[in-house]
Amino acid sequence: MTADQLDPAEILARHPRVWWASPTITLAGFGSLAIFDPGTGDGRFERARAVSAPVTFASFTFDGEAPGSLVIVPELVVEVADGETTLHGDPSLMPPAPVPVPPEHDRPRFAGSSLPDHLWLEAIGSILEMIERREVEKVVLARDHALWSKQRFDPHRILARLSDRFPDCFRFLIEGLVGASPELLIRKTALAIESVTLAGTTARGLTNEDDEILGKEMLSDPKALTEHRLAAAPVGAILRSIASDLSHPASPELMRLANVQHLATPFSGHLDSDEHVLDLVARLHPTPAVGGVPTAAAEAIIKDLEAMDRNRYAGPVGYFRANGDGEIAIALRCAELSGARARLFAGNGIVEGSIPEDELEETRLKLTAMLSALE
Amino acid sequence: MALDPWDLALRDALLPTTELLTLDELAARTELPPTLLEVVVREGFLKPARHEPEILFDPADVEPIRSGMELVESGLPLGELLDLARQMDAAMRPIAEQSIEIFSRFVRDSVEVTSESDAEAAERLVRAFSTMLPAAGTMVEHHFRALLLEGAKRRLQVDR
Repeated sequence: MTADQLDPAEILARHPRVWWASPTITLAGFGSLAIFDPGTGDGRFERARAVSAPVTFASFTFDGEAPGSLVIVPELVVEVADGETTLHGDPSLMPPAPVPVPPEHDRPRFAGSSLPDHLWLEAIGSILEMIERREVEKVVLARDHALWSKQRFDPHRILARLSDRFPDCFRFLIEGLVGASPELLIRKTALAIESVTLAGTTARGLTNEDDEILGKEMLSDPKALTEHRLAAAPVGAILRSIASDLSHPASPELMRLANVQHLATPFSGHLDSDEHVLDLVARLHPTPAVGGVPTAAAEAIIKDLEAMDRNRYAGPVGYFRANGDGEIAIALRCAELSGARARLFAGNGIVEGSIPEDELEETRLKLTAMLSALE
Repeated sequence: MALDPWDLALRDALLPTTELLTLDELAARTELPPTLLEVVVREGFLKPARHEPEILFDPADVEPIRSGMELVESGLPLGELLDLARQMDAAMRPIAEQSIEIFSRFVRDSVEVTSESDAEAAERLVRAFSTMLPAAGTMVEHHFRALLLEGAKRRLQVDR
């Protein structure tokens, strides 16, 4: 049913259990009809799509063999898109007024990393040696920051801050996983599909001129272009095999976010035959933008060297409809919240020519951006 | 143009007097992997004492490196330490340049004109530098320490 137009910020202030927002759609879920872990292995995406509800939210672990993926069907979903508000479910379940925000807020406090920075640098050194020996072309190495606070972290407050700072990103809250990701894994509307590969990062400048200079430098930087090509080419090959009219720009474009700039390749086309959005996710995940090239070797190195469980970081996150349409991003720039504890994640693609301390600094800036949302 | 005798003496005084270390030897002395030391060199915080025919380091670098690792082992992430070091380098560089300019103008020039002989000028210049370098280091260390303590006390009040 349609309802009076509601402002997304006002809906968020009513503290929905789950949240998904992109530049074109906002979805807020209240209550829970069903919540389950679709399990591990190749069948997890198929098991996740077994539910039939108007709107279902899902967040998957990066590692297909790791438990912790979640599928949730809310009792009520409020959808705001194209200037219209639609309610899926019982409207009486919508909280009548914004939930008061607790006045007290403690700062986030550092509690350590799974792998200390200097050992993370050594891990990059090991990967560069493997790249030199031609055992692998690219590996995405991530690291984490554990945080604690004297009060529980408020996911809605964090989400509101992320929405202010990253309005063009995919903002999500699904059972403790909160973030603002710039990377669209796959969007499916009827037969139309879209995907955006991001790989290659540089800083934002203090002025527009600085931005232009930094962006132009990255567009001609062999290391950034190699990293991007390694990430985009396999995605293009997979999508072209199921969408013969797939199109994309001949060279990567610049995507400018509040804190960094990325090289981006947007893909679009039409499926030759219809598939559920989660079937497309199964084909694509993990992309080289979060795993590496070749995939299996990169995944083994990640398991061996990262010394942490990524859980749902770098995994697919988003929503899908009963007809198989949906929008799934990659859970980057996110935090896992558990009461008064949190874990932040950041990763970088390591390719030939990567400089360890530059990668450390880049992940430090990414972690700092996420940390500011928790402050 | 050839250096004056007193400047030659000062240049010699600036050279390390002990046997220099290779990167591997420095790694062994500091118990750090060479890859990590290479990072510190690339970042400019560890400067080789000699570049040709091979890169060699002053043994005096061992203690500051160990101090840095004590900070890391005490809980400071290396990424944050490197960032602080970059900021400190940027802030200190112009002060160091100005200090050299002041030394040159008020000590070196004065020694040159008030000495009875080249040998006396050389001896006085080296002595002045040898006294002033550690004194400047002590002053900077003391001031930074005072700033740290002052800031820490203020922070404790805020976080109370």
